[in-house]
Amino acid sequence: MSELTTTLMAWAQRVEGSTVGTAIAESNLAYPIIEGVHLIGLAISTGLLFAIDLRLMGVFLRRIPLERLLRDLRPFVLWGFAATSLSGGLLFWSSAERMLSSPAFAFKLLFLLLAGINACVFEFVLAPRHLGKPQLASLPRALRYAGFASLTLWTLTIAFGRLIPYLPAWS
Amino acid sequence: MTILEVLAAIEESAIAHAISKTDHLVGASLQILHVLGLILFLGSLVLIALRASGRVLADQSLRDVICDTSRAMWLGLALVVLSGMLMFVATPRLYFFNTAFGWKMGLMVFAGIAQAVLFRKLAREPATSSAFARAAIVLSVASWFAVAMAGRMIGFI
Repeated sequence: MSELTTTLMAWAQRVEGSTVGTAIAESNLAYPIIEGVHLIGLAISTGLLFAIDLRLMGVFLRRIPLERLLRDLRPFVLWGFAATSLSGGLLFWSSAERMLSSPAFAFKLLFLLLAGINACVFEFVLAPRHLGKPQLASLPRALRYAGFASLTLWTLTIAFGRLIPYLPAWS
Repeated sequence: MTILEVLAAIEESAIAHAISKTDHLVGASLQILHVLGLILFLGSLVLIALRASGRVLADQSLRDVICDTSRAMWLGLALVVLSGMLMFVATPRLYFFNTAFGWKMGLMVFAGIAQAVLFRKLAREPATSSAFARAAIVLSVASWFAVAMAGRMIGFI
């Protein structure tokens, strides 16, 4: 085991053994309720985000102007993410060691990071460059690709999140 | 035939064997489809509810939003129901006697009825600023959230 792994695992053990971590892990109801909040937050945030992605790809809600959809849904997507991140943080707190030993969790974080980068590129590069112009019949290719990338990366994030209990730990 | 015999017969069926006797990743894939279907279904429902309550896309026709969104909603529901039924068939006794599963099924029937009432109301009266319509929207979305919450508890209770 490398020194970095040893340090990370020692940190995970401390996090998991903390008062909050132990309280969540030992309560019969806390863990499943937080899991439920994680799922509902995900349904709101990624559910609405999927609507935006499919609109970008031109397969859904084509009658609605893209700017309008983005502006109206953004606060709800962000509130959903806040609920998902907060509950996800609490779940990690109570099972840090198991999460760090799980390859599915590592892949989930990787796809989450890529989805975040894609969102930043969309918000700060693509949207300022392409939006605000007269609507074309079909959106520029870069926007359609960004929508497809977001849909794919979030699907992978969710899939690997659900795989955490099913895949064996790193050997 | 008692309920136990029915459950045992389901568990011994060819389709149950096909799922439960193969790699455990088949079950995991069904779980993934169940979550993705749920997100598609609930996301669409939330979008319709937000539009119906006038919080988003207020200048767009509600009928258009429902029309565009309902395809995604039905696809999501189909994924959830199909994957859910396959998971149940593989281990029916595990689910049938689980308290959270009982709650989930009860809440699902309630949510289904609430939604049928809501959609009929919305289809009949496009002007949905009435207190009844708002209450129906909140009730419908809240009851589906409760279904999701009860479903997530199955593995823990």
